[in-house]
Amino acid sequence: MIMNSNSEKLTKKEIRQVFWRSCQLDSSWNFERQQNLGYSYAMVPVIKRLFKNDSRKAKAALKRSLDFMAITPQLSSLLMGINAAMEEENANNPEFDDSAITAVKTSLMGPLAGIGDSLIVGTLRIIATGVAIGFASKGNIIGPILFLLLYNVPGFLLRYYGLNFGYKYGAYFITNAEKTGIMDKVTYAASVVGLTAIGGMIASYVQLDLSGIKIGSGKFAEPLTKYLDMIMPGLVPLAVFGIMYWLIGKKIKTSNLLLGSVFVCIFISFLVSLF
Amino acid sequence: MLTQSLLIFLLAILGYLNSFFGSSMISRPIVMGMLVGLVLGDLTTGIKVGASLELVWLGAMAIGASNPPDMVSGSIIGTSYVIVTHSSIATAVALAVPISMLMQMLWNLLMIVWVPLLAAKADKYANEANYRGIDRMHYIAVFSQAILLAGLTSAGFFLGSKAIQSFVNIIPSFVNSGLNYAMGIIPAIGFALLVRMIVNKKTACFLFLGFLLVAYLKLSVLGITAFACVLTAILLFNTGHSSSNNQVQEVIDDNEF
Repeated sequence: MIMNSNSEKLTKKEIRQVFWRSCQLDSSWNFERQQNLGYSYAMVPVIKRLFKNDSRKAKAALKRSLDFMAITPQLSSLLMGINAAMEEENANNPEFDDSAITAVKTSLMGPLAGIGDSLIVGTLRIIATGVAIGFASKGNIIGPILFLLLYNVPGFLLRYYGLNFGYKYGAYFITNAEKTGIMDKVTYAASVVGLTAIGGMIASYVQLDLSGIKIGSGKFAEPLTKYLDMIMPGLVPLAVFGIMYWLIGKKIKTSNLLLGSVFVCIFISFLVSLF
Repeated sequence: MLTQSLLIFLLAILGYLNSFFGSSMISRPIVMGMLVGLVLGDLTTGIKVGASLELVWLGAMAIGASNPPDMVSGSIIGTSYVIVTHSSIATAVALAVPISMLMQMLWNLLMIVWVPLLAAKADKYANEANYRGIDRMHYIAVFSQAILLAGLTSAGFFLGSKAIQSFVNIIPSFVNSGLNYAMGIIPAIGFALLVRMIVNKKTACFLFLGFLLVAYLKLSVLGITAFACVLTAILLFNTGHSSSNNQVQEVIDDNEF
């Protein structure tokens, strides 16, 4: 790379600005290009600094930043860091092909969003909820506080270090991480912990009170739940989970499933009230 | 009532600005319920209602272009109603679910029509290298939506209590007990969605491990999470060096044993 005397370099200040601005990524979400406005907003300090003497390149960079974007917010700063490093090279190297920036952005956002959504929005959140909800359902304020801490401490650490990492190592790191299988290991570890927690939560928080139903007659009548518990405790919650899992596999929309459950439950309770 | 409505408005703004503050999940019912409780002077009930609604909306999360129901308005109105009228938690669910769906429709409309308009204006500013213009479009998108949605939520709180009360009073008791059943099984939808997202043949057994640990040994979720972390460490570090990144290391290991 040729270093000109008037080379443009990003300072700590812009990186810090990108960090804070990345926190707003989802807040101007839209159906047309999703996070494009938020992403552009986050990249403004970088573009402003690097292309202050070259308005043609500045316009091109701004337009690029407004392209379609869909990524997990906590991992967005990693991509922004990579993007910033590439724009920096673009500013200093006249030979640089700026279509590479768009290519890297579009090729990385899919995998990053896939990993991020399942690891952070899915698994991390569910673990935070699982730990917190026990306190919260008793009205203990530790619950909500614990939830916020468990979710956000790792979230913001990822956001902070991701940005610096991305800026320092550029796109090379991600492709490398995919090759060495680090990503697979992280995903595997997170799914093991996540699934174990969900399994436990099914047993603790899915409930269907069948104690009203009795088997047998007269004084020999025993509640059905007693027999079910003898087979296996938590059999009913597991069955309910199994039914829901199967229904979701049938591509039934979640909102319909939710409303459907409410109506079925009200209907059953109506039938019960008749007797 | 007016001061409370104002406080509820501020709270709703905070909730709708969740993705302005680092997508930190402050819009979740478990947090919103606590804050409503704080504002209306019954923290314990607020947290409890928040926890129940959290379980109902466990599977609700923004992924790609699918938006979950608007939990902010639903949590605030559901929780505040239970606190003000001392009704059952099932009433909160009965109110929160439809309200959140209605508000989401309105919000979707904003994100289909209003925000893309602003983004198109931002395209124009990009052509002029007008940095401030892009910043401004972003801020307008953020705050116009938050203020409108929070305004509607607090108006619902201010005007709604009486109207909601007369509506709730005509609900027959079997509906209420039906909702209680529903509250118990709805979390299963959330769990099923999450499991579908992360499970594969190699990891499915851990779902049952967690389930059995709680069902038979009555461990807490915190406890099984801790066990799961140790188990993961064992699996990753003590077995199967096949995917290890250091080939040389492996050869040495093989010689030792």
